[in-house]
Amino acid sequence: MSRLSFQEKMLWGQLAGIMVVVGFYARFLAHSSPGHHYFHAVLIVLLFLFASVRTFVRRRSRSVVEDERDRAVASIGTRWSNIILWLGLVLILVMYWDHGSMRSANFLIGVLFHLLILAGAARIIRELVAYRMSA
Amino acid sequence: MSPRISNTIRELRGARSMTQQELADHIFVTRQTVNAIEGDKYSPSLEVAFRIAHVFDVPLEQVFHYDPPRNRGK
Repeated sequence: MSRLSFQEKMLWGQLAGIMVVVGFYARFLAHSSPGHHYFHAVLIVLLFLFASVRTFVRRRSRSVVEDERDRAVASIGTRWSNIILWLGLVLILVMYWDHGSMRSANFLIGVLFHLLILAGAARIIRELVAYRMSA
Repeated sequence: MSPRISNTIRELRGARSMTQQELADHIFVTRQTVNAIEGDKYSPSLEVAFRIAHVFDVPLEQVFHYDPPRNRGK
């Protein structure tokens, strides 16, 4: 019988998805010429795939897949994610106030994207650690 | 999540030949949560604690035991 709960399996799946996204993004930064953006397609496909698999597994399972312990762990992860997002937003504001502009819209979007990835990864890792500590 | 509450769930479950999954289904939590409770890694809510006692048909105090913290300096 699996030692990993449904939520833990979903977290590992999300972490793997983030690694794929980061890998594609790194390759995109290194090789893609302007105008060729497969990256957003990868992102959309991954999100759709993950949501579909998660919904299918939840409906197929006859046992409880999310309980009070899962919600307690999720609140821990959310706290870490929120801290990183808030610090990132403050950083963006400081950069704007300090430089007078955000250089370009591309730069701002890039910063926001990295912030989302960082916050997402931190949330997932912190929740996985919380699960292991209470496993 | 290191509680000061111990329990006898594993023993009670064993006496009734009940699996962790069966207990989890009765109290509406995941099997992994039952495992965490039995291993003193997670303290359930009051409602889940009462459900567990109800499943085994024993008083709550027979299932869970609170170990008060030692008072330093006394």
